[in-house]
Amino acid sequence: MGWSDWVCPMPSSIARALRELLEVWPLLDGRPLLVAPLASIVRLGAGFAISLALGVLLGLAMWRWQELDRMLGPFFLGLQTLPSVCWVPLAIIAFGINERGILFVLVMGSFFAIAIALRDGLRTIPPIYQRAGLMLGASGWKLYRHVLLPASLPAMAGSLRQGFSFAWRSLMGAEMLLLVRPHGLGSLLDALRNVGNAGQVVAVMLTMVIIGMGADRLVFAPIQRRVSARFGLS
Amino acid sequence: MQDDARVQVVSSATPAVRPRGRLVLERVSVRFDGARVPVLHDISLTIEPGQFVVVVGPSGCGKTTLLNLVAGMIRPDSGSITLDGVPVRAPGPDRAVVFQDHGLFPWLNVSQNISFAMRMAGATRQQRDRRVAEMLRMVHLVGSAQKLVHELSGGMKQRVAIARALVMDPAVLLMDEPFAALDAQTRTLMHGQVQELWMQTRKTILFVTHSVGEAVRLADRIIVLHAHPGRIRRQITVDLPHPRDFDSPQITELVRLVRSEIEDEVNRVNNEALGEDNWQPAPADHLADHTGDMGGGI
Repeated sequence: MGWSDWVCPMPSSIARALRELLEVWPLLDGRPLLVAPLASIVRLGAGFAISLALGVLLGLAMWRWQELDRMLGPFFLGLQTLPSVCWVPLAIIAFGINERGILFVLVMGSFFAIAIALRDGLRTIPPIYQRAGLMLGASGWKLYRHVLLPASLPAMAGSLRQGFSFAWRSLMGAEMLLLVRPHGLGSLLDALRNVGNAGQVVAVMLTMVIIGMGADRLVFAPIQRRVSARFGLS
Repeated sequence: MQDDARVQVVSSATPAVRPRGRLVLERVSVRFDGARVPVLHDISLTIEPGQFVVVVGPSGCGKTTLLNLVAGMIRPDSGSITLDGVPVRAPGPDRAVVFQDHGLFPWLNVSQNISFAMRMAGATRQQRDRRVAEMLRMVHLVGSAQKLVHELSGGMKQRVAIARALVMDPAVLLMDEPFAALDAQTRTLMHGQVQELWMQTRKTILFVTHSVGEAVRLADRIIVLHAHPGRIRRQITVDLPHPRDFDSPQITELVRLVRSEIEDEVNRVNNEALGEDNWQPAPADHLADHTGDMGGGI
């Protein structure tokens, strides 16, 4: 009876793996645990920006035009149930194994979630704000700019937070299947599978979790907390 | 000859500056989609500048609809509504509304809520600051200028809502059951403040409530609405000086009068509703038919 370190690596193996991954690996372009997270974070920045822009537009459109929502809402909800890696084959056919392919998977894996969260949030805006705005002379675009946009901030903050976690997960999946330089955390995970070192594999998974949780705790949760405090929501 | 004389009398009585806030409803009817009976039917009403008019009636009589019409939130199916001769078409700051649920913007603080309409109208920061300070004094909220909406009590929220409505110096102030959600003591305080504000500003006020006490305490003129369809059942002029002593015999007498009008109305509506209800208890022999059904052969 021995502990199978390749089935479930001991904490000591993981700690050793983390140290090893901070050394220079010529085949992986330098120190893997510095290079890979940086590459992933840069990708995430670009992809999440696109995803957010598309998601906000679609969410607003589905809220504003109910016919559109009735026609496309169930379709988008269905697409949201599709695991994001299922977009990889289409990404390869449409864009090839390159940066655009990865971004495509990230965007497709997150922007429906953003749009739907935003639409649902916008629907909870009390109609009295609109009536009060009209009565106080906010008509046309002023109503959007000075009433509906600020009233939607809690919904925006919620959809931002949810969208980020979708985007991060999609990116990791895409990087595992689309090996593109500079290699991100997903690609590193796949490379270490080939090396066969379970401790190093788990160390990279741990890094993914830490970055995902860190961004949520340090960026997205505080935004949501501040908005909620302003609005006096719980 | 006679006509000339009358014209002269009228023109000599007209002051140099015409007061604002003359509200005229002519033969106004509203029917909601698919409803058999109109919500409001053939309402004609003239409210003179500076009048404090309170509309009372049983729930569902269309009092809030009447207010929404004047606010421009809904359009009548027929008839016309004019304010100082100008037809009412859309909501606007000349007919400011104080809502029952205040409708203050939670993303703005008290000052910003009050100055919102001025910002929409393009007033400068200096103009806004000066006017907001004035309004804060008027509603006794100088110390709460920077507070957020959720930090205010119910009564404070309604005072901010009133200040927000008055900031653009509207011709008419519309109040839709503004104190219904407040506790009795706060409500009494608010009645005093509204009377004080009205005596200072002499705005035309159209105030909707289901509270007879509130109506008698505040109004120059009480309009009792008739339900199904909504029509004016009775108008009562209250000729008592402000501020009013709530325990005076005249007030008690008026409350009794208005309350009996409304009770008649409620009874009439209830009887109508019962008349439409054709449910009859089933005769006893029908019940007996089923005795053999359950296991008669066992």
